Amino acid sequence: MDLGPIWLTFKLASITTLLLLIIGLAIGYWLSKGHSFLKLMAEAVLTLPLFLPPSVLGFYLLIAFSPRNGLGKWILDHVHIQLVFSFEGLVLASIIYNLPFMIGPIKSGLRALSPSLSEASYTLGKSKWETFIRVLLPNAQGSIITGIVQTFAHTLGEFGVVLMIGGNIPGITRVASIAIYDSVENMDYNRANAYSLILFGITFIMVFLLYIFNQKNLKSPLE
Amino acid sequence: MDSLGLGLFMRRESISKSLFMKNLILFLSLLGLSLNLKSQTIRVAIAANIQSVMKEIQTDFTKKNNIELELVSGASGNLANQIRNGAPFELFLSADLASPESLYKEGLCFNEVKIYARGSLIICSHSSQSLKTWKNRALTDSIKKIGLANPQIAPYGKAAMETLKKEGIYDKVKDKLIQGESISQVNTYITNGLVDLGFTAKSLVLDPNLKQNLYWEAINPKNYSPIDQGMVLIKTPSGKPSPGAQLFYKYLLSPSAKAIFKRYGYLVK
Repeated sequence: MDLGPIWLTFKLASITTLLLLIIGLAIGYWLSKGHSFLKLMAEAVLTLPLFLPPSVLGFYLLIAFSPRNGLGKWILDHVHIQLVFSFEGLVLASIIYNLPFMIGPIKSGLRALSPSLSEASYTLGKSKWETFIRVLLPNAQGSIITGIVQTFAHTLGEFGVVLMIGGNIPGITRVASIAIYDSVENMDYNRANAYSLILFGITFIMVFLLYIFNQKNLKSPLE
Repeated sequence: MDSLGLGLFMRRESISKSLFMKNLILFLSLLGLSLNLKSQTIRVAIAANIQSVMKEIQTDFTKKNNIELELVSGASGNLANQIRNGAPFELFLSADLASPESLYKEGLCFNEVKIYARGSLIICSHSSQSLKTWKNRALTDSIKKIGLANPQIAPYGKAAMETLKKEGIYDKVKDKLIQGESISQVNTYITNGLVDLGFTAKSLVLDPNLKQNLYWEAINPKNYSPIDQGMVLIKTPSGKPSPGAQLFYKYLLSPSAKAIFKRYGYLVK
């Protein structure tokens, strides 16, 4: 049994989650501070992947990054990265696709914090950065972990976007969900079953651990 | 001021936070280590209909030349589109001539299209019945669903469509037609009994790994345009085909490859 697709899925989910955590903290913090038309606009755009079919996103990414077209060719010539049918492309697509799953909880978590918390920290002479890292983040920990787990689990389940811009290339873009599809296409139901069971087990353990972890934080990921 | 309380709270939370981050980093680095790099292999895009025969070809070629093949199957039209958009294949074995020819015209191939096999269309069912009179049967109420591959992207689907039109029953059965994305999806429909009849490649019923009885009848080749299956070497950034890809290309035209194709119901010159 070839475990490659399982490892690839985890590699994709881990890298996506890590990069998106950094992006999500920055954007989530910005969105949590006050209101403006620009922020509303940004929030609407960032929420789109939640509602759009993955094929819409996949289609436009395919067009944008195909080496036959301007942008894709420019990136290939100057940055030497091909963003379609490559692992890098999957990471980029996953980050875009998961934006609302990471930014949503972080923004809500930060916004729910009482302003007196940061004010107290400023009064004690802490800088904005230090307050963010040492006061705001630890207090919004539950929401951040929710964002991390949602992003990770959602990436494990990604299918449509990967199929559109990644295809089905072993070791590069054949993640577990694609491998299951491929096995069924090949009428190899044993293999499809094995991948499905592994994915099922891992996802269940992850979510279960999250519930155990969040027990004492009084915050369930479903809230 | 409650500075003590805030400070304590900060410390306890930041310890568990940093522990969490440490574990995350450890997990990620272990993950990175466990992903070993694969040795150089030849990546080949293959039409869905030759999946089973290619498994045998792969075994034979690898045994003789000690070169690994990586086979990725799909509908020919889809594979051609992926190649057009930069998918990293070295060789493309299509189910038709049109898809590789369009790639060749766009300057994406090293050589002109070469026919490696001609496919045969059959009509097939999982339930015991004689299909000699399948045309009449298809019109009766006992046949509710007829599977075929998407005629837009799969050559066997196109051949099935031509057959139905040539036999003059297309209009009467068009509401019964179920389209699969590729011939392998149609095979799934047939073997699981999701359709009562299905148009597929002869290689399905000649596959020695098939573990069930299927009932089938060859479609008269006069009813559809020949399913000539062509292959091309795809241009790679290196500017010339890799020695392994060239070797496999030659092998596919060799008597040993032809013998295997023949056994799976393909016509070879």
